[in-house]
Amino acid sequence: MARSYLFIPGNVPRMLQNMDVYEADVIIIDWEDAIAPGEKDEARILSETFLKKHAPDVEIYIRINAEPSLYEADLAHIPLNHVKGVVYPKSDTASLSKLLKVLPDSLDIIALIETPGAFFDIKTIAAMERISALFLGAEDLCSELGATRDPSGDAILFARSTLIMAAKAYGKDAVDTPWADLDANNLQKDAARAKNLGFDAKSAIHPNQVPLINRLFSPGAEQIKDAKRIIAMHERKGTMRFSLDGKMVDKPIIQRAYKLLEKARRYGLDGGDSVD
Amino acid sequence: MKKRDVTVWTEAIPLISKSLETLLDFVKPSDGMACSFHHHFRNGDNVLNMVMEALMDRDLTNLELYPSGIFPVHTSLIRALKENRIRNLTTNYISGPFADALNTYGLTGELTMQTHGGRARAIIEGENAIDVAFIAVSACDEKGNATGLEGDNVCGSLGYAIEDAIHAKKTILITDTIQTTITNPQIRSKWVDGILHVPSIGDPRGIVSGTLSITKDPLGLKIARDTIRFLDESGMIEKDVSFQSGAGGISLAITKMFTETLEEKGLSASFFTGGITKHHVNALEKGLVKDLYDVQCFDLDAIRSLRENPRHHFMSASDYANPNNDHRKIKDLSIVILGAAEVDLDFNVNVTTDSSGTIIGGSGGHSDTAEDAALSIIVSPLLKGRMPLIKDRVTSITTPGQSVDVIITERGIAINPKRHDLLERFKNTTLPLMSIESLQKKAHALSGVPKHSPAKGRVIGHIESRHGQKGDALYRKEG
Repeated sequence: MARSYLFIPGNVPRMLQNMDVYEADVIIIDWEDAIAPGEKDEARILSETFLKKHAPDVEIYIRINAEPSLYEADLAHIPLNHVKGVVYPKSDTASLSKLLKVLPDSLDIIALIETPGAFFDIKTIAAMERISALFLGAEDLCSELGATRDPSGDAILFARSTLIMAAKAYGKDAVDTPWADLDANNLQKDAARAKNLGFDAKSAIHPNQVPLINRLFSPGAEQIKDAKRIIAMHERKGTMRFSLDGKMVDKPIIQRAYKLLEKARRYGLDGGDSVD
Repeated sequence: MKKRDVTVWTEAIPLISKSLETLLDFVKPSDGMACSFHHHFRNGDNVLNMVMEALMDRDLTNLELYPSGIFPVHTSLIRALKENRIRNLTTNYISGPFADALNTYGLTGELTMQTHGGRARAIIEGENAIDVAFIAVSACDEKGNATGLEGDNVCGSLGYAIEDAIHAKKTILITDTIQTTITNPQIRSKWVDGILHVPSIGDPRGIVSGTLSITKDPLGLKIARDTIRFLDESGMIEKDVSFQSGAGGISLAITKMFTETLEEKGLSASFFTGGITKHHVNALEKGLVKDLYDVQCFDLDAIRSLRENPRHHFMSASDYANPNNDHRKIKDLSIVILGAAEVDLDFNVNVTTDSSGTIIGGSGGHSDTAEDAALSIIVSPLLKGRMPLIKDRVTSITTPGQSVDVIITERGIAINPKRHDLLERFKNTTLPLMSIESLQKKAHALSGVPKHSPAKGRVIGHIESRHGQKGDALYRKEG
């Protein structure tokens, strides 16, 4: 349902303090790659203290470390009342199964798919009950593949499509990889490509990327209007199959209309109940 | 010196010399002389230091100084304070170490912080009685016609010097370029008594800024986006809207987004005014605004445009903001976007001092435009460093709350309760509207409640309203 996921380092007070004004739908506090090995405790303690004291009004995940010795320390510092789940790096079936044994019940997992091996496990990962979303990590993946990313997205087309298939097959959200440079034109191309392929949301590594991502991954006015008409017709006729404007409408289209309208309402984009 | 009669002008040829001493002999300086200087060369200005050093070398004291703005480059003023040579100082803006020097050495008389419009009014009405106006110009002819648009060290508009040129008892131009003719002179020969021809009037690197850029700070950009949303929902972005914003990073972002919004809506503004930047010029050249009225050029694009584009107009400080000038441009201003160092629960704004009372700026056109514009919006991050923007009472009032309509921060927007029309219009908005008290609480939740330690010490001067009324005191701190 979210449109944008923004990574912020867990040891930068100014970014923690302002996480709720960056307009991202989801904040991912990073305790992994953005934090040097010697600064992990600082990030954990700072993030934990801030969240307990200020309880920002935004959905929060924490990117924990992949190694059990590190993520056990991470889990001990997660303030459960304020955090929805964890983003788990280098996900594969075995490592996720191990994590699930120690993960507090209230937390869900966004599986970061960023190794070639994970794509052979992806169906199993997507099927895991506590996995809420699959998240493509293209930088690490390209590094392992020896591939070079550009705004065309050719290098990661297969990975993107595979991840979307798995996520959609199991009703999970598909979250696209960040675009690493801050050029807005390149971000626009990369994000539009991801949206057209079927991603539900895209991640950002800088707050200034968020408005563009939100705009692109929000339902458009025409889409909202069509969804309202489909739902109105469905509710009037009471059937899951009917004709509208000469086109057949059936269950998947009706479900998609409900989902789109829910997203529009969540982000204040629904202009009211009118279906005209 | 006899006061100049501005109803009778003679076309006397001005005295031209390469010697400052010759020009000073001509104006017959004396103890207690009132001199004015101008800030159109900003931090590249050589002229104020050149003249002040010469006056001090003549052992003059009790000087009355009227610089329109003081910049870090103006180190000779610090020497003048140390040597106790300044009696009264009247200015619109102070930046840099001079503020600390004022605190250290003080004045025998008083500091008066005026507004840009108030300074023009006070000169015209004789309150700022100037004996000699020393005006840096980038080029002039031998008759004294002068401009800021030609020569080696261009600065653009000379808008803040015009009233001085007309009303000072003697007007001395200082330039490094004397030409045969001046196209469209901003200063007329009939106002000029002498011309000092020097090798250099300034350092081009400090005259126009190469660093004016739109903020990249995410909070600043959020404030800018919310400001545009607010303007859009207010219904103010309409055909022939007029607009002014400053040259700060957030203001520039708003200017850019404002013109983009005009373009999206297929509208054009009637005019932009104030200090002009390349962003204003871009809008003019794209037909998104019909006219620019320029009292000060902030960059080379603005200077080029003022020189070449007939819809880019030069104006004096009086035509810009003098409250007693019925033709002042800002009287017709729809929207002004302004900054703040502090705001208080009564919407008073301080841009003159920091929370400890040290001078960090001054009104410039802040309170002029806030009072005249149909909608005045203050934009600022809610926390300035670790200090909350919103105080119970500002350290000093630069712009009274009655002139301020809206405060926009990254965490919320407060409408002045006196604007019933805006409160009614925005009652169903999805923008984060709240009372200013709630906004202050939000800041305190992050910063804690700072201890209020009001500025105290010996009064060193006052803020003066654009109409000439004495406002809050400014202090020379103790200890």
